[in-house]
Amino acid sequence: MSALANQALAYVDALHNLARYLTGNETDAEDLVQETYARALRAEHQFTPGTNLKAWLFRILRNTFLSSYRRRRNDPTVGGLDTVAAPVEGVESTNWLLGDVELDRLRKVVADEIEAALMTLSEESRTVILLDLEGLTEVEVADVVGCAVGTVKSRLARARAALRQKLKDYAR
Amino acid sequence: MSCDDVRMHLHDYQQGRLGRQAQDAVRAHLDGCADCTRADAVEQELTRLLEHRLPQHPAPLALKRRIAAQWAPPAARPSWWRGWRLWLAPALAAATVIVVAAPVVHYEQTAARQAREQSAMVTEAVNDHLRLLASQHPLDIESGGLHQVKPWFAGRLDFAPVVTFEGDADFPLKGGSVGYFRDRKAAVFVYARRLHTITLLVFRADDLPWPSRGLTRIGGLETTVTTERGYNVILWRRGELGYALISDVDPAELKQLPARITPAS
Repeated sequence: MSALANQALAYVDALHNLARYLTGNETDAEDLVQETYARALRAEHQFTPGTNLKAWLFRILRNTFLSSYRRRRNDPTVGGLDTVAAPVEGVESTNWLLGDVELDRLRKVVADEIEAALMTLSEESRTVILLDLEGLTEVEVADVVGCAVGTVKSRLARARAALRQKLKDYAR
Repeated sequence: MSCDDVRMHLHDYQQGRLGRQAQDAVRAHLDGCADCTRADAVEQELTRLLEHRLPQHPAPLALKRRIAAQWAPPAARPSWWRGWRLWLAPALAAATVIVVAAPVVHYEQTAARQAREQSAMVTEAVNDHLRLLASQHPLDIESGGLHQVKPWFAGRLDFAPVVTFEGDADFPLKGGSVGYFRDRKAAVFVYARRLHTITLLVFRADDLPWPSRGLTRIGGLETTVTTERGYNVILWRRGELGYALISDVDPAELKQLPARITPAS
């Protein structure tokens, strides 16, 4: 097995985690990850050594998801372009930030609630939040989602604000 | 820096991603603004929540194994050639010895490698069957007959599965789904025999280590019949397609199926 393949296999857990949050179910997540590796294998010669392999794999995974799964499922919770969804999600979120009561509520949120809240966000919002958690830089996230670095910054801020807004409902 | 500017950059500030000047500006603002300090605490809490409580979904072991098998074969070829190139001169010098010894060594190595690869094919088939049994939703298309199941695969596979057995009272066809066999997509047909499940995988047969010895002739088909972990497995190929039949039903009953699935002409 090539060194690249060995390195690529080290990211299968991270890719599966994102796939699980994109597709919302285990079967599609596994298919998506397997298809991602199949495409990566075919495009192995296109990978530029010295660049971030993890980000490259994430980009293939997301493109595969967008080209196959979202179209097939026609599911509003899976789809949703951020340009449409984000402003709606972000509304009122900043008002809720203020005050120690809200902070206390946030501290009581449990695992299932944060997962459920995340799944209500648009695909793009989920992606930027999860890629940020994976430790990708904003430049790398921009490369994965195909937008400018400055756009990633604002999208991430909006996505996190939207998540806080959703969590407000769970944390009462 | 205004409160809005600070709020927009709080996450970056906490991650240390801002330039030094901006980092200092946010810190100075926070020192003098109680609202933004609270917002800062909420942002930190959200990050802590995501990092510590958001459920993680690592890949199942079976998926890792399938992907590793997918990547292994093409990657093995260059190293083989590199190894030969390095040792080409000594190998030529020892040509006479090799000419005598090579056939024996090659035969043994080939036989051992084929046995390993064939065993891997059987293991893959049994694992696919187990995965289907364990799945909450094993069937993507419930059967109303073969004429419903086969068209469902159109557009989902890069080949058309050739299967003629529609199921009958003894072996009813329950439905189908798309799965994987090693590095390729597979059409999955599910039949039943009393309370037992029978999985049929149909996939492209090219570039797989098909056995050439120890074959069992069933209804005009050359098949490999074996047992692993209590499951009976029958492998065969017909034209460009490969077939794997897996179940815990009696082997004699399972052997009734290959010739009905792909009748020998």
